Amino acid sequence: MSGARALPQSKEALLKSYRTRLKDDVKSMLENFEEIVKLAKGEHDTQLSRMTQCEQDTYEMHVRAANIVRAGESLMKLVSDIKQYLILNDFPSVNEAITQNSKLFRTKQAECDQKLMSLRDDMAADLYDLEEEYYSSLNK
Amino acid sequence: MMTAPMERIQVLDSIEKDIITCLHSAGQVFVELSKEKSSLKQAENHTQTFLKTLSSVENKLTEQINYLTQVSTGQPHEGSGYASQKVLQMAWHRLEHARSRVNELERLKLKHIQGGRRNIPPNGQGFGGSVPPGSTT
Repeated sequence: MSGARALPQSKEALLKSYRTRLKDDVKSMLENFEEIVKLAKGEHDTQLSRMTQCEQDTYEMHVRAANIVRAGESLMKLVSDIKQYLILNDFPSVNEAITQNSKLFRTKQAECDQKLMSLRDDMAADLYDLEEEYYSSLNK
Repeated sequence: MMTAPMERIQVLDSIEKDIITCLHSAGQVFVELSKEKSSLKQAENHTQTFLKTLSSVENKLTEQINYLTQVSTGQPHEGSGYASQKVLQMAWHRLEHARSRVNELERLKLKHIQGGRRNIPPNGQGFGGSVPPGSTT
């Protein structure tokens, strides 16, 4: 009983982790974007020389841009994980998919058998004529 | 008609495209700002696109996660389509068997026709294989 209860908890923890990842990635993208735009102003009263300040800003922009890309890739991974979870655990969809497939297979099987039956009927009709020809001929 | 199983996967596909659009817009903003004669209006448009797309990605993903919270249980799914698959396979085997028998009949017919051409009986009947002489009534 505790085993059955433990499993849903891990599913809940998994879904909670998805929410956390989503929140963190979106927050990271927004923050880094904002910071890059702020840096682009380029008006700083700093104690460093202009060259050094430029180098520092360039480096910071590179790092923040890389952070934005990383957050984007992490979101793509999250979408992929959600797809996987959906395929495995979304019972209504899985049930419907199985029902549709079963229906399709049974329809095809009924078509096959119907064609076989009509073939049988045609052959029975031809056989009737052939038998009549054979048994009324002189060469039995 | 879109089936429910594929609908959700397609929504997730569209979310992936939105994420890429989002990143692309952010890049466009920086490209615009880095130009010598940057158009503020363009940069603002791209920024708006970025923010709007990001917000829609967040909303859609939250909706998907909420749906999953409602429908998921701890149990593995034990349904299968194997029974109907097997039924179809057996029907296919029946069809193949009938086809092979009809092909055999065809082969026999051709053999008899060729045999009949070689030994045409004197009374002109081409029916069947070799006709033994002296079998008339």
